[in-house]
Amino acid sequence: MNKVTYFLSETWVSLRKNLILAVAAIAVVAVSLGILGLVVMGWNMFSNMIKNAERKVGEVDVYLNDLATQEEIAAIEAFLVSIPEVDPTKVVFKDKDTALQEFKERFKDQPELWQYIQENPLPNSFEVMTKDPKDVGKVVGEIQNNAPYPERIEDIKSASSAIEKLENIFDKFRQIGIIGVIALAIIAVLLVSVTIQVAIFARRKEIGIMKLVGATNWFIRWPFIMEGVLEGLVGAVVAILAALAVKVWILDKLIENLEFLRLSLSPGLLPVLVPCMLIGGIVIGALGSAYALGRFLEV
Amino acid sequence: MRRVTKVYKGNVYALEDVTVDIERGEFAFLVGPSGSGKSTFIKLLIKEEEPTGGQIYIADTNINQMRKWKVPYLRRKIGCVFQDFKLLPHKTVYQNVAYAMEVTGKSHRLAEQQVPEVLKLVGLGHKLDSFPDELSGGEQQRVAIARAFINRPPILLADEPTGNVDPSLADGVVRLLEKINDSGTTVIMATHDKEIVNTFRKRVIAMENGRIIRDQDRGVYGE
Repeated sequence: MNKVTYFLSETWVSLRKNLILAVAAIAVVAVSLGILGLVVMGWNMFSNMIKNAERKVGEVDVYLNDLATQEEIAAIEAFLVSIPEVDPTKVVFKDKDTALQEFKERFKDQPELWQYIQENPLPNSFEVMTKDPKDVGKVVGEIQNNAPYPERIEDIKSASSAIEKLENIFDKFRQIGIIGVIALAIIAVLLVSVTIQVAIFARRKEIGIMKLVGATNWFIRWPFIMEGVLEGLVGAVVAILAALAVKVWILDKLIENLEFLRLSLSPGLLPVLVPCMLIGGIVIGALGSAYALGRFLEV
Repeated sequence: MRRVTKVYKGNVYALEDVTVDIERGEFAFLVGPSGSGKSTFIKLLIKEEEPTGGQIYIADTNINQMRKWKVPYLRRKIGCVFQDFKLLPHKTVYQNVAYAMEVTGKSHRLAEQQVPEVLKLVGLGHKLDSFPDELSGGEQQRVAIARAFINRPPILLADEPTGNVDPSLADGVVRLLEKINDSGTTVIMATHDKEIVNTFRKRVIAMENGRIIRDQDRGVYGE
């Protein structure tokens, strides 16, 4: 107990002495962990949105090219109906003419889009509904791999392929976010280590005397490690408060107002994210002080 | 110390082929002009410097081979006093001495009991709450001696302890070391204060250019 109070008081005195640097280090720790929190929450919201969307849309469109004969089309239809995940009553063949008719109907306000068409450019197609929307991917794969006359199948489109593209874009954002977080974390470690170096320098005389009277290396090191960890911890707390504020005042509002996007935060996310951020802060602080001690405290 | 050599960077020989035995309970003056190797001698004993060659034994332990983590425990057995006192200016006299106990993990209660006792021994029982810069050089050195002695080390090293002390008070400082010596502690004091050496008549180890040139009991400073 005696030792702990000693270390704590030494830590506090030292922190007070180089307050400005300590505040800077804490700020960078907070920013890096805060961005981490935002990236994680944003990613969670987006992936929930995608999951919700996928759950709704079980449609797969199979486009055929014009070379397909009646028999080939019939064979493909039979195959589609035979896929176990497909609802056999909802395999609809849409021929070129119907497709063009639908197109004209949809764009009847913009006749210039179809007025001058000589030949019908739209393909024959099947509209297939899966029994369960989550099987869309399976069905697409099944058609790609096992359908008869694959040379007659021009393209397969599903809602999930559109979502996949979106997912890829967001994946990029996530990667950039993670790289940014790592870079900031490294800067945070270095800044913490600078504050510890300054603290070591400010107390070099005292450290010399401690060594002289027989203080062990760990006895000398502990206050500095605690100083670094404390900086990391305070930074993490600031980041957590900021992340919670963003959640309450921005994300929750978004979720409420953009209901049609089906945004949501997983209920289990925050109980995991908050301790992770705390641990992240402690790790940043400990690494920073360890680096400074390794380089500048010859004991 | 057996055939100890210390070479600093740039081929400066601080100690050259020094062999000397100092027995338990002895009081020895280490004399010689500046740069004769006295301070290096002391730094080698507390492992602040490593010898370039030769072996150093303390209480039959070869400290050359001592592991790094054991060094603090060696230093707890050796009290040190320096010319510049090495007191912490923002701590009181009491705190400066208690510090040496705290650092070795002793309890506050033990410090509260022993620190005033030792400070009384060095004649500063009434200045517990003074800060070092409120004291004279002689008083500051007494505080440093109290700190060196608080853990009752078997060995006490003093490097020019009277260097920054008013000559009229220097005697008192050495007499204090003598008192500590009487309690069984081996005292090695490096000095170039001729008068003190000649007054106290202890063993004199005289050094010059890193070598021992004379070693006599109850000796004087030199010709």
